[in-house]
Amino acid sequence: MSELHARVNEALQSAMAKAVPEAGNLDWQAPLASQNGLDSVQIMNLVMEVEDALDLSVPVDVLAEVTTLQQLADQLATLLEGRPS
Amino acid sequence: MSLFDKFAPLAEARARLGHEGPAPIATPFEAIHSATRGVVDGREVLLAGTNNYLGLTFDAQVVAAAQAALVSHGTGTTGSRMANGNYGGHEQLERELAAAFGWPAAMVFSTGYQANLGTLSGLAGEGDVLLVDADSHASIYDGCRLSKAQTLRFRHNDPDDLDRRLSRLGDQAKRTLVVVEGLYSMLGDQPPLEAFVEVKNRHGAWLLVDEAHSFGVFGERGLGYTEQAGLLHEVDFILGTFSKSLAGIGGFCVSPHPQTELLRLASRPYIFTASPSPAMIAGVRQALIRLLNGADLRAQLHRNMHRLYEAANGLGFQLGSDTPGPVAALLLPSREAALAHWHGLLEAGVYANLMIPPATPNGLCLLRISLSAAHSDEDVDQIIAALTAVRDQQTAAAPAAMAARA
Repeated sequence: MSELHARVNEALQSAMAKAVPEAGNLDWQAPLASQNGLDSVQIMNLVMEVEDALDLSVPVDVLAEVTTLQQLADQLATLLEGRPS
Repeated sequence: MSLFDKFAPLAEARARLGHEGPAPIATPFEAIHSATRGVVDGREVLLAGTNNYLGLTFDAQVVAAAQAALVSHGTGTTGSRMANGNYGGHEQLERELAAAFGWPAAMVFSTGYQANLGTLSGLAGEGDVLLVDADSHASIYDGCRLSKAQTLRFRHNDPDDLDRRLSRLGDQAKRTLVVVEGLYSMLGDQPPLEAFVEVKNRHGAWLLVDEAHSFGVFGERGLGYTEQAGLLHEVDFILGTFSKSLAGIGGFCVSPHPQTELLRLASRPYIFTASPSPAMIAGVRQALIRLLNGADLRAQLHRNMHRLYEAANGLGFQLGSDTPGPVAALLLPSREAALAHWHGLLEAGVYANLMIPPATPNGLCLLRISLSAAHSDEDVDQIIAALTAVRDQQTAAAPAAMAARA
């Protein structure tokens, strides 16, 4: 795993613990909403936390295409890579 | 597989609202007698969930103006403003709205929903950014979807989060339109507008305030929350609707930037729809005159707001906003509790709004009461008495739940 992906995963895990502490262990490949039982509010809070941790803003249309935690991690890595400096 | 399969969760959610008594969602009104009285389930009830903040839907002059235009100009325009649907009344209303703000530009849209769709999608294009409050109304989110701009959201009413996000945008901040509302209709709370203005000015961003629920309610002339905050000179666009304080249907955008006129040529929700009917425009023009000279209406509305907030707090209800406003949102612990309160209130003769996810922020279940200048002191007494009865009934039914919340 690249350094970038490790950073993203770490940020996601800590954001998860902060935003949805009751969620427990998550399946990174399963849909966030149905399999992992998160509602849209929890998903939004999770994204806001991870945005703070990584100091980036995720466009709303990117989020609309994300269904699993792994997809979110991939999108975050792509956004970080594309960022200047 | 069927096209309708995806509606199964919606059908399930509707079924959970029960089949006993009148429907709490899309409640059928058998008759409307006045701004504050209507018939539900064969019985006249007090209307306390109508967004009819100034109570002008039955104002004699508003009705007369609409009637006269209906007779003189016909039922509909049968066309777009860009084609055959551009009548004198539309342009006069735009001039009157612009004059009310002392600004050069005003555009009228056929619905409040389209005002957001047309303004946001037209103003912000490729390479621009729409930075919207997370609790924004669906029409703002849909306007963003129709736009080719990138859409980002910031934490509700959080100037620090807005600051961080504008910082991340660097030079693009100057092509960013920040969108907030003057009053959030679900919880009835209002933005820290002065702090938002300071942040957007520091980054050179643009600011739009949607005053759908605050136009007519706040400010000396009723221009909205921005007027009350003394910040009209700091904003770039103000949006409003005709379907609340102005007692009609439609919406508008006003701006100190004269180039806003060009938005007419770029806004698809403005171009590809029929213009408002002559009767609608005439009624709204008359309502606007009343609104701008409506200190008496606002005095009664604010008196009602303060009385209801004080009483609801006294009864132990948790409200969505600390500051009294035209919307009093009672936060309830569950969908079932919200439903029981809604039915209880209706049994006591008061119609309010049941608001449940996904329409609400943070998954909240709410009973939303909206007040009107047309509510008399006795009407507010009746709302408070109904709330008291429901509170007592619910406390008796679920003492443990109430104690846990206390």
